[in-house]
Amino acid sequence: MLATQGWELDAMARSARHVLVIEDDAETAEQLVDALQTSGYRVDLAVDGEDGLHRGLTGDYVVMTVDRMLPRIDGIKVIRRLREKRIMTPALILSALGEVDDRVRGLRAGGDDYLVKPFASREMLARVDALARRNVTAIKDTMLQIGDLQIDLLARVARRQGREIELLPREFQLLEYLARNVGQVVSRAMLLQHVWDLHFDPTTNVIDVYVGRVRRKIDSGQPYPLIHTIRGVGFCLRAPE
Amino acid sequence: MLLNKTFRSSTLKIAFIYVIVFSGAIFGVLGYVYWSTVSYVNQILDRDIKTETETLRETFSAAGRDALISLIDQRSTDKFLGDWVYLLTDASRRYVAGNLKSWPAASQVDRDRIEFTPADWNRKTAAPPLLRATHQLLPNGYHLLVGRRAHDLARFRDKMMVGLLWVAGLFLALAAAAGISTSRRSVARIETINATSRKIIETGLRGRIPVRGTGDEWDGLAKNLNSMLDRIEELVETNRQVSDNIAHDLRTPLTRVRGRLERTFNRQLDVGQYRVLIGDVTADLDEILRTFSSLLRITQIEARDRMSGFRNLDLTGIAREVAELFDPTAEENGVTLQLSSCDRAIVIGDRDLLFDAISNLVDNAIKHGGRNGRITVAVTHDSGEAVLSVADGGPGIPIDEREHVLRRFYRLEGSRNSPGSGLGLSLVAAVANLHGAHIAMADNSPGLRIELRFPLPERVAAGIP
Repeated sequence: MLATQGWELDAMARSARHVLVIEDDAETAEQLVDALQTSGYRVDLAVDGEDGLHRGLTGDYVVMTVDRMLPRIDGIKVIRRLREKRIMTPALILSALGEVDDRVRGLRAGGDDYLVKPFASREMLARVDALARRNVTAIKDTMLQIGDLQIDLLARVARRQGREIELLPREFQLLEYLARNVGQVVSRAMLLQHVWDLHFDPTTNVIDVYVGRVRRKIDSGQPYPLIHTIRGVGFCLRAPE
Repeated sequence: MLLNKTFRSSTLKIAFIYVIVFSGAIFGVLGYVYWSTVSYVNQILDRDIKTETETLRETFSAAGRDALISLIDQRSTDKFLGDWVYLLTDASRRYVAGNLKSWPAASQVDRDRIEFTPADWNRKTAAPPLLRATHQLLPNGYHLLVGRRAHDLARFRDKMMVGLLWVAGLFLALAAAAGISTSRRSVARIETINATSRKIIETGLRGRIPVRGTGDEWDGLAKNLNSMLDRIEELVETNRQVSDNIAHDLRTPLTRVRGRLERTFNRQLDVGQYRVLIGDVTADLDEILRTFSSLLRITQIEARDRMSGFRNLDLTGIAREVAELFDPTAEENGVTLQLSSCDRAIVIGDRDLLFDAISNLVDNAIKHGGRNGRITVAVTHDSGEAVLSVADGGPGIPIDEREHVLRRFYRLEGSRNSPGSGLGLSLVAAVANLHGAHIAMADNSPGLRIELRFPLPERVAAGIP
């Protein structure tokens, strides 16, 4: 299934939010615009770096997707110029495998993200959602609450219905990342990137099995499940309505 | 053909340039010898003539005209002085005494030295010789000429010239012969290489350049070219296998996708069924894309500059993280995953790549290591080198297959249908190679033990392979 109940609900929250797509390849641009619009974003398209820089400086966007190789001004340069002008719109860099270098990876430190072409629309959407959300949530929370799950970020402890759940440090990090993106779909590659700081696509289902173990610790014996598997994409931490 | 090539060969041209340069040098040397000999002989001749003239002049001043005339007459008839000429004239150059009858038409050598060939030579010599003489003015207007035959000098000069020409000719001939024979030799060797190249161009990579076993530079070249050809043949073979395997591995899912689409096209389905189908087809295509990405990734790792983006890493830490990540997967497969490691093992490398490589080893061990087995991931130090090993208790890899499993798409008999792309160990090999690490496979009896032995960080930093 391409869409689940949860996705359609999310579309409401996405409405009236503006995304800037800077992409020179017509086919990819169409795919991006189409996927983003279907999910409820309003999309502006810039077909070269100069146009993208201009729109980025003047428009009010929650996220922008930037192609690594652009005519006129290179994608990385567009982002750097925007940052110089104190425009902090999170950027998702789309790059071919050969173009992923330290400069692209380095951008993650600035709250940006990257995705290697060719990519699935769902993966792209999950990342845009995560970036859009990061733009509005305060990172400085010390306590996260999702349904009856309580995550104490200072003491590094998770409790469900007041009972402490034993988690390994890495498992806690994974739960924290899911919780920070509550209600959003998080892909396997995003988990590998943000929890393990690894930048390659896992070719096995090792992440699924790992999340499965965390899910058992969080959800077994509880009145309702919090960690959901979104088929073909990844996972989502979400409390029932 | 060969002769024609010999004459056009660059070696021969170089040989001829040498001949010209050496000939110039030899002519220079011989020319100098000739010049200095001739001037030395002339010097001696001039000195003798001067002494003789002095003797006659002193006789004239001491004993007078008649004494001089009788001395000149005596000297002119002395057979031991056959080379000498004398002439005494009065102020108007009329003959007074001497064996020369008249004042000769002479060419002036310098202020008081002359050279001439006498018109009326009366001695028993074949050709009238060249004479060298001094002209001395005596008191009362008398003129005295004392000369000596320079005949020997001319002969010496001629002999010298002939010798010179002989030497030059002989030298030229020898040099030309040496040049041609050297050129022929190198042209012949180059022709062998050319013939092999043409054969390779026409018929394929089978041919090799014959090595003569002389150990000279031509043999060195032949050996190098041969090992280059071996390497190329190996690469071509690998390439061919990879293409075959890509064709095989991608044709299966592509055929499946095509079949599904075709069947669906011919049937009436409801929206839900279409959605399921599109989902399945997308999953199949994702699988194909993943295979492509893995291939591309391996190629990129192989093409990467060593050390670019490398930093100091703790191998134990990475192994621990991999073991932790795979622990749930191992548990699900009923395998015990055990980590046994030393505290720290510093290697210089790329964390992403090392993590990926170790993940592949652990993943393989879980997949092929047999159910209910035990997998041990270990990091140890061996004479300072960090060694990572992954050992399982599965069927292992037969010794003669061990080298092949590192190749792309290579899969053991019987495992073709188990999950996996056949690219995992190729990636491990590429990563190991990039890090200068040595891969070894050993029998874990039962099972397989794969070992990655990393070079010492200080050796890596110093650029020692």
